[in-house]
Amino acid sequence: MDQKLQELWGEVMEEKKQCKGCGGALPFLIGFVAAVIAGWVLFPNLLYSKKVQPVRFSHKVHQEQGMECASCHVFRDDGSYAGLPNNDKCMECHADVVGSDPAEKIYVEQYAQKGKEVPWLIYQNQPDNVFFSHKAHESFECKECHLEVGKMDTPPVYYENRLSGYSKQTMKMWQCERCHAENGVSNACHVCHK
Amino acid sequence: MGLDRRGFVKIVVGGVAGTLFTPVIWQSLDDVSIWSQNWPWIPRLNKGEVKAKAALSKLCPAGCAVKVKTVGGLPFAVVGNTANPMSKGGVCPVCAAGAQLMYSPARVKSPLKKVGEGKFEAIKWEDAEALLVEKLTALKGQNGKIAAINGDETGSAGEVISGLLAGLGNSGYYMMPGEKFVAEKGVKLMGGSGQPGFDIAGADLVLMIGADALDSWGTTVANQKAFAATRPTGAAATAKFVYAGPVLNHSAAVSDKFLPVPPQATAAFALGLANLLINAGAVSSASDFAEYKALAAKYTVEEVEKATGLKAESMKALVDLIKAAKSPVVIAGASFGQGAGALDFVAGASLNVLLGRVGSGMTLLPAAPKAVAGATSSDKDAASFLAEVATGKAAPGALIVYEANPAYALPQADDMAKTLGNIAFKVSFSTYMDETAALCDLILPAPHPYERFDDALNPYGVAKPTYLAGKPVVKKPVQDCKDPVDVLLGAASKLGLSLGFDTYADVIQAKAKALGADFDALAAGGIWTGEAKGGSLNLGASALAKVAVAKTDDKTLAVAPVSNQANGSATLATPPANLLTVRETELSGKDLIVQMNAATAKKAGVAEGNKVKLSAGKGELKARVHLNEGVAPGTVAVLLGFGRSAWDEFTKGKGDNVYKILTVSDEAGTGLKVWAGSTVTVAKV
Amino acid sequence: MAHGATKEFKVTWGMVIDLDKCTGCGACMTACQVENNIAPMVDASNKMRTLSWMLVFELSNKKSGAEAEVAYLPRPCMQCGNPACVPVCPVIATEKNEEGGIVSQVYPRCIGCRYCMAACPYHARYFNWEDPIFPKGMEKALSPSTSARPRGVVEKCNFCHTRFMQAKDKARQDGGNPEGLADGAYMPACAEICPTGAISFGDVKNKEHKVFDLAQGKDAFRLLEKLGLNPQVYYVSKREWVRKLGDNYAATGKPGAAKKHS
Repeated sequence: MDQKLQELWGEVMEEKKQCKGCGGALPFLIGFVAAVIAGWVLFPNLLYSKKVQPVRFSHKVHQEQGMECASCHVFRDDGSYAGLPNNDKCMECHADVVGSDPAEKIYVEQYAQKGKEVPWLIYQNQPDNVFFSHKAHESFECKECHLEVGKMDTPPVYYENRLSGYSKQTMKMWQCERCHAENGVSNACHVCHK
Repeated sequence: MGLDRRGFVKIVVGGVAGTLFTPVIWQSLDDVSIWSQNWPWIPRLNKGEVKAKAALSKLCPAGCAVKVKTVGGLPFAVVGNTANPMSKGGVCPVCAAGAQLMYSPARVKSPLKKVGEGKFEAIKWEDAEALLVEKLTALKGQNGKIAAINGDETGSAGEVISGLLAGLGNSGYYMMPGEKFVAEKGVKLMGGSGQPGFDIAGADLVLMIGADALDSWGTTVANQKAFAATRPTGAAATAKFVYAGPVLNHSAAVSDKFLPVPPQATAAFALGLANLLINAGAVSSASDFAEYKALAAKYTVEEVEKATGLKAESMKALVDLIKAAKSPVVIAGASFGQGAGALDFVAGASLNVLLGRVGSGMTLLPAAPKAVAGATSSDKDAASFLAEVATGKAAPGALIVYEANPAYALPQADDMAKTLGNIAFKVSFSTYMDETAALCDLILPAPHPYERFDDALNPYGVAKPTYLAGKPVVKKPVQDCKDPVDVLLGAASKLGLSLGFDTYADVIQAKAKALGADFDALAAGGIWTGEAKGGSLNLGASALAKVAVAKTDDKTLAVAPVSNQANGSATLATPPANLLTVRETELSGKDLIVQMNAATAKKAGVAEGNKVKLSAGKGELKARVHLNEGVAPGTVAVLLGFGRSAWDEFTKGKGDNVYKILTVSDEAGTGLKVWAGSTVTVAKV
Repeated sequence: MAHGATKEFKVTWGMVIDLDKCTGCGACMTACQVENNIAPMVDASNKMRTLSWMLVFELSNKKSGAEAEVAYLPRPCMQCGNPACVPVCPVIATEKNEEGGIVSQVYPRCIGCRYCMAACPYHARYFNWEDPIFPKGMEKALSPSTSARPRGVVEKCNFCHTRFMQAKDKARQDGGNPEGLADGAYMPACAEICPTGAISFGDVKNKEHKVFDLAQGKDAFRLLEKLGLNPQVYYVSKREWVRKLGDNYAATGKPGAAKKHS
């Protein structure tokens, strides 16, 4: 019995000697680092497809005209939030081309004058089972939840999750819950779900 | 440096370990779980602004003044219009399903031309209109060759259709049978004229004889609102309601009293009641009171019990109720809105005369001004017309069917359908593929009520002249349809006729103007009302002398067709959103369930759950039996609206059609065809 | 009650249904189906499979001839004060925690075990045997109020909860108090559409809402009160046989005594 064990041990030691060249923990580290890089850099690139807005809308230009967020993003009389403006609103100024920006020309010619609404990509659409009231969150600044687009000349890239289909910026339930908890607001299911 | 197996394993292990420090696994799990909540075949909600737009929802026979809720411009729900005094915020169950009906699978999607038995080919509108003009041109000027059946009692479309026929030298304009037609005949027999109205809101006792006023008779929602106003929850009721009829129906369920009266004994019941009232001191200044009194005297308590099965105490209690009332009103009609004779109406209405309630409880509406100069009214209903076609007395070469379904909703329906099918050229203006459209040579899709202009003048039952009008809620119809009246006006001008209008919208605006109403206010959900005209009525004694109580024998049962508004109507199969309202005691799988009381069932030799065959004339109906003590003795109650042979997967082949076993008879002295007192034999199968 | 206790809220949404006014027309069921995106079923006569958040029952006094009477009883979810369904849910997909006392149901969380259905004595809960497939095009007429539920989850009436949220938003917009809505500001679809006004709705704890008095009327009762679930739906009928069918008297067999039972 002892004999046999001894032989086995000998073989193991033999192998270890042969393997000296492949360097202890190095392969493990290589694998580890590669995976970490892949997971943090490659994976997000693979997970999200990039989309650009159909019209390069410049919030910056509009802000420079002295417009407020609420000039276009309004509450309706019933307290619901209109979100992005539609053609009716945009065409108050852009029924015809008024500036020199090529993006405006695209909007006017391809959408406004054809009576077609722009299929804007919404960065933070919630699923159908969520009822979100902007009115109830009116005291917060837009940028606390939304991308701060106000000073951007080009709208941010829209990242769509290839698995779930949602935008990367879509707020997750834990974020809602945490803020509610911190502010002493109920986290009962029906506070948000429909 | 070579990589051996051991090194490879190390890299893999390192990779796996490293992955645990990245979001790969956690994020993927999370995303996959989110993905699993949104299967692509689960429909998504529509987004956008929610608005409510006023509409005239002519899906139910009376029409509801409603608001259609839209999201991002798409209709999704119907709510009441609280500002409209007719509906006061109420909606009937059919109009409540109106938005979904726009997308009904039964909708006709484009003009269709028949190319073989049950086969249709989609054609272009211009070809369809050319075909219509071609057929009409060939028959123009030959009276009797072109006929039209109109199923819309209230719309101005009828004026255009009858005006068109008159212009083409034809007088064959027929209405689908309804209570309005019969009631106007009845008023004539009582020495008056015009459409009668009933002031339910102003009554402290409402006696409904046959008329299911709180579910499917007259302006249902307005009636329900009037009823509700007298019954504040938690407080004393301010009016009594009594229902006398063959079935403990929706009206009877909320009435203070239900009196089971078999369908053939309606007039006997009313005259028996008149007798008791006269005995209790009621007198009338009507010229024929003496004659009436003598006639009523024949309807003793015993006679009434023999005809109806009602005990003397029930009748006496009712007389006491009537005597105690300050403003009673009696409403008479068939329990399902048609087929009753004028005599049934006169018998009921004579009670209003006897009680001195003409002009207050029961009113007469003045003739309304016409928008189309050449418009005529119909003096015969579609059932009488098709009976003439069947016997060769009438031989139309072309038939126009507007918003009507004669192949389904006339007595001996199968025969009617056959007769209809034999007419050389039939065109149906219909929103849905109904039984009649399926027989026609040309189907011209009509818009859904939320896609069109339409109006409603004096829906039957209103106490005052009443006018409603509506305009489209949506910009574009869901299907490739055109307004039937626009099509007919176009055809007229191609035939060299001018009816004075180019579109239905113009006709309606002219109608509103003629009445002194503001179209825009009406289209915004308003209403126009006028004043009832004066005038008195006699008791109709000479007509009532001909009332004969139909004898039932042991072998036959009286049929009481029952109409539940939620189940749809002649021109509308049960809407998809109303399927849930059909009870398990009404339909089971594909079996219709007919109801009778235990004693009747015993007499007929059937029991709960038995499969039975009801037959009369050439018609047969298959069903199962359910025992219901709310059905009058010797009567079998059969729900209307089932047994569809066209429409959609939700309704086709479900149950059976009671019209198949209704038989027509001639009413003595009035020349009317009646079928409310039909009898059937019941056999277990 | 031995088990569980009623959770108290400042606002308690309740319904008072006048059974003497209900004609059984079914408009409430249709409005409910439309508001809550219930897909039509080809065989809707199979009541084991249908989803009817609001269901109108037919009651009979079992007498015949001129003595026969029927009454119609609309049955939404009772939103019990002490619900039987909530404690049995293994995944907290249903709870009663929100101000107003409406029992919630979260569909993505539900695992379809149906314990809640077994627990509910009112049969107010329904299981989705089928996916919500609408006839082609009819999905364009979906209501924005309620998410479509997939096969395999339980659902029920929630007093058209989205309308509650919308009423609060409207109040905020108009500068009112979202926590103290005026009578009539929030109405479920069934109550709004009922052509005879048989269904009243409001805060049963708020004297300014008409349901406050109605719920305490002498003819008011609740279904199966002896179970102590403390439903937020009240019924009213002047007809004793109807009240009896509500099981008010089951505890003692004598009228009036049962209300003190629990």
